[in-house]
Amino acid sequence: MKISIPHIHKIEGEAGFWAKVAQTGKVDELKIETLTGLRQIEGILIGRKIKEVPIVVSRICGICPVVHILNACVALEKALEIKITPLTILLRKLFLASQIIQSHTLHLFFMSLADFFNIENDLDLMKKFPKEAEAAIKIRDFSLKITKIIGGRSVHPMTAQIGGFSKLPDKDGLEKILKETPEVLNAAQILIKTFRDLSYPNLKRETKFVSLYSNKEYPFYQENYIKIGDEILTPADFYSNKIEENLKTPPAKRVKYKGEPYMPGPMARIKNNRQLLSSLSKAVFEEFLKTKGLSEKDFFENRFYNLFSQAIEILYFLEKSQEWIKEILESNLKESIPEVKITKGSGLSAMEAPRGTLFTYFEIDKNGRLINCNIITPTAQFLTNIEEDLKIFLPNILNLSDKERKRKIRSLIRAYDPCISCAIH
Amino acid sequence: MKKKLIKTKPKVAIISLTSDEGCQFVLLDLGKKLFNLFKEVELVNFSLIEDKNLPPGKIDVAFVEGVPITKNDVKLLKLIRNRSKILVVIGNCAALGGVPEMKNYQGKEKTIRFIYKNTKGIANPEIKKVDNFVKVDFVIPGCPINGEEFLRLAKILITGKIPEIPQEPVCLECPKRATPDCYLVKRMICFGPITLRGCGAICPKNETACLACRGILKNINPQNFLNALERFANKKEIEECLEIFGIKDEIIKKVK
Repeated sequence: MKISIPHIHKIEGEAGFWAKVAQTGKVDELKIETLTGLRQIEGILIGRKIKEVPIVVSRICGICPVVHILNACVALEKALEIKITPLTILLRKLFLASQIIQSHTLHLFFMSLADFFNIENDLDLMKKFPKEAEAAIKIRDFSLKITKIIGGRSVHPMTAQIGGFSKLPDKDGLEKILKETPEVLNAAQILIKTFRDLSYPNLKRETKFVSLYSNKEYPFYQENYIKIGDEILTPADFYSNKIEENLKTPPAKRVKYKGEPYMPGPMARIKNNRQLLSSLSKAVFEEFLKTKGLSEKDFFENRFYNLFSQAIEILYFLEKSQEWIKEILESNLKESIPEVKITKGSGLSAMEAPRGTLFTYFEIDKNGRLINCNIITPTAQFLTNIEEDLKIFLPNILNLSDKERKRKIRSLIRAYDPCISCAIH
Repeated sequence: MKKKLIKTKPKVAIISLTSDEGCQFVLLDLGKKLFNLFKEVELVNFSLIEDKNLPPGKIDVAFVEGVPITKNDVKLLKLIRNRSKILVVIGNCAALGGVPEMKNYQGKEKTIRFIYKNTKGIANPEIKKVDNFVKVDFVIPGCPINGEEFLRLAKILITGKIPEIPQEPVCLECPKRATPDCYLVKRMICFGPITLRGCGAICPKNETACLACRGILKNINPQNFLNALERFANKKEIEECLEIFGIKDEIIKKVK
């Protein structure tokens, strides 16, 4: 049997699916093909001045520009040994969290929920789930307001630069946003309930989870360590020695860890750091396991639960946003951006994007121009892991009708929330 | 009482070529306002929120984002043109080549060699804006587009009319204009005076200079402005700024 889906809708960027299954049910061949053109952002950056770098990397992705900008800024700050202020760090955390919240919410309601019902179009979905639609839009509007007040606008924000922000958010705006948080936390509970009550397809496959790792705070902005499986190592060691980009089958530079596929993302972050979630979000996770009668092992072996992991993170980052806004308001919201002194150097930064760990590496010459550049996105890291999951999943769904089978395939691919624009930049 | 005429809703498609899809996210970020607009149309394609392929038949207004890089991009673009009464390009990539066009200035073979040793099978054309491939009826500019402006213009476009954006500079919308805070007064590069307004001068308002992502005004010769910039900035520096949003080749055409 041949199964082909030329265009998988409702994901960021263009991709298709292709598989060949033998009469016995054995999967002979299976692949996800990326179809988006290559824009060559890494090549474009060579020879450019460091000041332009945040502007250009932002255009890698329209849904997660914030993490591309921030990771580039941190990598350049490391290369130039620039020390940034505590207020900048706090603003960056809030900025990054706002992007994670909006991206997850968009994915959960607008890209994934319809997969669980026989609905092809989100406008019909909104008619069927008006309360949930309202909640999702409310959460998105709220997080977009935060992105805008810090970044200047939601898509391709311009204020975040090397060393800090060109403009600081105004106090009144932040106070107004803070007042909305209780209502938005309620909306998050609506979304959580919706995704708790869904009936998820079965899937059992162990994989290695990778994310930043900490013993202080649920890690996402900057940490000293990365955890993969049971191994804990530095981001530099992981990036330089343990993972390899496949340059033979372009344009997506698929990444493996010691030759094996692995998975970054919300599920990986929860797997590696769940003890650092808030008590409320931890309780939501535990209640989910109890309601579904799942062990932790069952949960992490079924990638469809990446969706519920996103729901948990929405709640967690909303709670933290509330704390961070309060903290920012308590500061006097004044700072001066440190001076940028051009020197030769190199810097690597690892940061948690909505879809997983993003690695950004730059080398700068003595004139402040890039001479080397590498950006490893979450989707490039997990594409092969989706294929391995699909190889296990496909035999379970061979008895379904063609239409239903394709829907299930698409829904597993979408559960990862792949971003093909990021994977092929 | 007047009898209500049963009108068929205009068919609208939102199509993406190679891009970061940022302009489509600007649309989704409009939230309820976008979904209210969608109530007035029949949405025949918007693959970010629909799990179905483009149905056959005529399209009244097609909004096209991105730049044609792969063969499929070009094929899709031509198909959409053939079937659409009005084809609108949205965003800097489609309108002017955008950030991907930066490679044209470097020598495209050199750029790709930096990324891959083996480049066989990778589409690597010279980046050309959409109107090199098909006739474009209207441009909604910006990187990304401005959501509110899109709503205003889209409401006119779905009635079958072509709107107009006044050919006036960003400076008209800029709070720094004629103040000591103006980038040009501070002898810093800013393309506000030659750039089409409509963004609300959002970059200067956020303390960053205008890089002309909306494209330069139709009715001007930018030569005098460039000469003025050269009094405090060197030519290479100015040109590099013009490369970011695909403006340099437009300027060269104009000052010839």
